[in-house]
Amino acid sequence: MSAAGLSTKNAPSPLVVLPHYIVGAIAFIVASVLLFFAAEDLSLSYVGPHILSIVHILILGWVSMIIFGALYQLIPVVMEIKLYSEILAYISFISLALGTVMMTLGFWESYVSPTFLKHTGGTFVIIAVLFFVYNVLMSARKTKNKTIENKFIVTSAFWLLATVLFGLFMLLNISYGWVAKSSIDLLKVHLLMGMLGWFMLLIIGVSSTLMPMFFIAHQLNKKCLERSYLLINIGLVIGLFLLYFFPNISWISLFGLPIVIGLISFFRYNLEAYKKRLRKKLDIGMKLSVFAFVIFILALILGMLTLISADVFPIFNSSIYLAFGASLLFGFFTILILGQMYKTLPFIVWLQKYQDKVGKFTIPLPNDLYSEKVANAHYYTVFTAIISLVIGLLISQEIVIQIASIFFVITGVLYAYNTFMIVFHKENAVPIKKPEIKK
Amino acid sequence: MRDISRLSKEEQNILQIIKTVIDPEVAVNIVDLGLIYEINHNEENKHIHILMTLSARGCPVGDTILQHVETAVRAFWTDYEVEVELTWEPQWTPEMITDDGKLALG
Repeated sequence: MSAAGLSTKNAPSPLVVLPHYIVGAIAFIVASVLLFFAAEDLSLSYVGPHILSIVHILILGWVSMIIFGALYQLIPVVMEIKLYSEILAYISFISLALGTVMMTLGFWESYVSPTFLKHTGGTFVIIAVLFFVYNVLMSARKTKNKTIENKFIVTSAFWLLATVLFGLFMLLNISYGWVAKSSIDLLKVHLLMGMLGWFMLLIIGVSSTLMPMFFIAHQLNKKCLERSYLLINIGLVIGLFLLYFFPNISWISLFGLPIVIGLISFFRYNLEAYKKRLRKKLDIGMKLSVFAFVIFILALILGMLTLISADVFPIFNSSIYLAFGASLLFGFFTILILGQMYKTLPFIVWLQKYQDKVGKFTIPLPNDLYSEKVANAHYYTVFTAIISLVIGLLISQEIVIQIASIFFVITGVLYAYNTFMIVFHKENAVPIKKPEIKK
Repeated sequence: MRDISRLSKEEQNILQIIKTVIDPEVAVNIVDLGLIYEINHNEENKHIHILMTLSARGCPVGDTILQHVETAVRAFWTDYEVEVELTWEPQWTPEMITDDGKLALG
């Protein structure tokens, strides 16, 4: 067999990838439970106590954890190369897990003052990120596929590095007072880099590769993605400059305009893939992913409102920011991960268990490794959860936020059930009976 | 290329066996997906050559599918050397899916 363009031989050991999915699923449940107890704070302001704790466990323990794990598997697929180092990936995983626990606890007990937990946790996160970024960049160096999708992924790794370094700078600045700037202003810089520079660019890169592949959609207009890349990065650089040096000028949020246009451009690309798809019938993984993109529209609308809310309706500014953040983090990112888990994890385990048995044994298909009923159930619970969360945040009602959190907890438990079912799948192969053929 | 309609009797048998190979992602057999470009059966040299493609470069289950084809064919033509060759030329397009394949995709 000739091997050019194949990726299974490049795939890392499942032992590198699977622990990320397990820890991620647990972190998502913990974040949902914390949301319940922080509902009161969330109905008040966007930097209240407990919120930073939830944001960090969601961003680090859930979204980053799964993304790190999935990328170790996907980089060989997207870039047609081998992962640079599995050992670095292990160290990064342990470091990220430890860092997440410490930072979540640290921010839960105190959200302003510097503590040992936050500093040590932050250091672990930096180590995790450094090793991850180094691994991605060293792998990407070897690729011959200089596609726009890969450019998104590599650029996002740089923004990730900038985000955590800036995060550590913020924590240390509270102790040492290097620059006389308010923590809130610095937080905005940190947030913008993390949410848009790291997550958004990465998600654009990965989903623009995967969605057309799973839809079986060809001949898409990549100019949409080129435009998106340029506009988002320009917007980011201008935005970060303004937020850091001139945080108080009016209409500052307008730097977000090119970013919004860039995001619409990305959305159009995926919409085209959806429309041109050959696979009309969507499986649960793709149904969830499509739903994530519907929530993305909601996030875009809320994002556009944040551009003007501070100057036009300042009373609702905090609620709109919170709803926007939630629609991205608990909405688009979370639901896309829920969906894409079903498109990646079953294959990773399936390949590990059955790769050598194809053709010789009757074996299950990757989709047989989880319960579709359970997956369908959390499709509806996550729908209820995200809609009630956004409404609860917009109208600042504690009880609605709590209802949302209960639905998120149910979603998390159902999702974890399927994750564990896949990861701990027991081999089930029956030798094939040869069919009669005329020779 | 791709004209697998003019196959000998034996090559048609091979095609039938390859039809048991399912793409695990879309759950449709790879013949109906249009992935098989050529089948050459050489009685004299005891050689079977299959030229095929994949729907996407870097497809995560790519070499499992290739291996599956090889194993499935070898199981019946035990005294033959079976060679499964992957090509990206011509590039696969959705037009190569058969009507049955389109139906199965929903």
